[in-house]
Amino acid sequence: MPYHEFEVSKCIPERKMHAVVKGPGEDLTHALPKGYLNTIPGTISERGCAYCGAKHVIGTPMKDVIHLSHGPVGCTYDTWQTKRYISDNNNFQLKYTFASDVKEKHIVFGAEKLLKQNILEAFDAFPDIKRMTIYQTCATALIGDDMSAIAEEVMAERPEVDIFVCNSPGFGGPSQSGGHHKINIAWLNQKVGTVEPDITSDYVINYVGEYNIQGDQEVMLDFFRRMGIQVLSTFTGNSTYDSLRSMHRAHLNVLECARSAEYLCDELRVRYGIPRLDIDGFGHKALGDSLRKIGLFFGIEDRAEAIIAEETARWKPELDWYKERLQGKKVCLWPGGSKLWHWAHAIQEEMGVKVVSVYTKFGHQGDMEKGVSRCGEGALAIDDPNELENQEAMLTLKPDVIFTGKRPGEVAKKMRVPYLNAHAYHNGPYKGFEGWVRFARDIYNAVYSPMHQLSAIDISKDDYETGKGFVTRRMLSDAGLPEEAKASPLTGYTGKFDPIPDLRQKTYPAFERRVAPAVAE
Amino acid sequence: MAKSKEKNVARANYPKLYDHDPLADVEPELRARISEMETYIMKNCLWQFNSRGWDRRKQNAGILGKTAQLLVGEVVDNPTPLDKCHWVDAVLLARNFKERCLWLADLGADEIRSIIEKLHARIDWLTIDGSLNEELTVQNY
Ligand code: SF4
Repeated sequence: MPYHEFEVSKCIPERKMHAVVKGPGEDLTHALPKGYLNTIPGTISERGCAYCGAKHVIGTPMKDVIHLSHGPVGCTYDTWQTKRYISDNNNFQLKYTFASDVKEKHIVFGAEKLLKQNILEAFDAFPDIKRMTIYQTCATALIGDDMSAIAEEVMAERPEVDIFVCNSPGFGGPSQSGGHHKINIAWLNQKVGTVEPDITSDYVINYVGEYNIQGDQEVMLDFFRRMGIQVLSTFTGNSTYDSLRSMHRAHLNVLECARSAEYLCDELRVRYGIPRLDIDGFGHKALGDSLRKIGLFFGIEDRAEAIIAEETARWKPELDWYKERLQGKKVCLWPGGSKLWHWAHAIQEEMGVKVVSVYTKFGHQGDMEKGVSRCGEGALAIDDPNELENQEAMLTLKPDVIFTGKRPGEVAKKMRVPYLNAHAYHNGPYKGFEGWVRFARDIYNAVYSPMHQLSAIDISKDDYETGKGFVTRRMLSDAGLPEEAKASPLTGYTGKFDPIPDLRQKTYPAFERRVAPAVAE
Repeated sequence: MAKSKEKNVARANYPKLYDHDPLADVEPELRARISEMETYIMKNCLWQFNSRGWDRRKQNAGILGKTAQLLVGEVVDNPTPLDKCHWVDAVLLARNFKERCLWLADLGADEIRSIIEKLHARIDWLTIDGSLNEELTVQNY
């Protein structure tokens, strides 16, 4: 096995099995790091907790819901300033965050009464909101608070409200991924099948594992609506609570982030016979093929082809503009989970960059199988890295840019390596044909912006020439290009600063139904 | 559709088919052709990577079986939604193979079936029987 041992981790020998470099002629049966194991003592992981995975990744993007953490107020930190799963109802779920604010005395005497009081107060404070999710945290799990019993009590007293209980305390798994799993299964067991939807199309899907980061879901819904497809629910970005209770009526589950939501799709297949179709919304080829597959499934491939032709004609030239200028730029693709495989091949093929390393904080070996396959030989694949390993990797691989989260991103910035936010994006959405060009633009600006060189200068001490330092695109990225490319009137991205408001105004053609609607399902 | 919460704990005992790379002794020219197809799948597709071994077995058989049928011009029957789902991935795969592997046009139906059979064995080896993924045999989703 071509394991990679970091100098900084020699004192933690177990770490060796968590990093590999796929060598010439090697395949997945030779090179795969360990994954989804408890973090090894001595290594400071970048992972989140299982509560965080359940609530802050999957639960909270539901938009018409009071999301209440039962625990100390600190657990519920992630909110308006840190998450970017927007919604078309003025971002209610981002603007307000709720916690029962458990204190020492509650740990001693129990916090169930406190929880009930908090639930009632929250509903009273927001009388238009009738749905709630409540989340167990470490402290309240350990004292044995029965959240389900309290939720039942409230629902009996107030029949107009509905409450979902998520039992995924921070210690409920090696990482946030344990929480993804728990909330998938809990939602399925508690809520799916409890609402019957209105079926308005012959083609009905659930869009699963999509969290509407900076509008990704709205971009994809636009394509589905243009194809005449009814999206019964999105699990969970920009979705309503009740639409997710009716998932059992879809004809097809279209799965985007398999890492966080495949459990739900697999169980929906076993319990309700709904097939699972994995797609990639990132990259022009992958997205085009994804729309084609959904079109084929329903016998409406022509509608998909029309969209692909229109969008490709509009955006491909601008994508190619960046590709020409990003050739061979070295990338460390260091996201949380699924983006390592969503992006690894597409950015190399369509943007010309080279992925020199992939890592995952909470991915499983299945994610690494996809990621390692989609990288070239020699890429360093790391599972659950620590900060020192990241620094060593940056010093040895010398990437031009890294795509990662805020915390490792700040470390990279200090080492003068430009970083793009792989979770919440810089200037997303990144999904869709246009979104992919926005991503290319962000990569281009990260790689070439003179800010990074300038930031190395200490203006209080260093002697620097004031007449130098003014550089333009032609001097930076175009210097080595052929004359023809230099002379081209094209520039990069020409879309709007924020494309989402226009999407929210759009109307869609009504497609005639082929099948007469059933009177009752 | 019936709602069933039953778990089939026996499903993790899917039989192993290969104990070594089934293409280890294939002659180089044929091996190179299969590699082209394998590389396309591993870089562009996701269907071969369902999380459990028994599902991977069904996915590989369903999609590659239908791909072979499509490549030799057979009519493909899709009696269930799951079959249809396999078929859409097969259609895309067959199209991409035809576009990229131009040598396919010179092969007869039996040769195509035989090459996809070998490809199937290789994908089963990479994703199931030779896989280092320790979660393939976890019994629940
Ligand atoms: S580990 Fe426990 S205490 Fe810490 S944030 Fe997560 S739920 Fe809260």
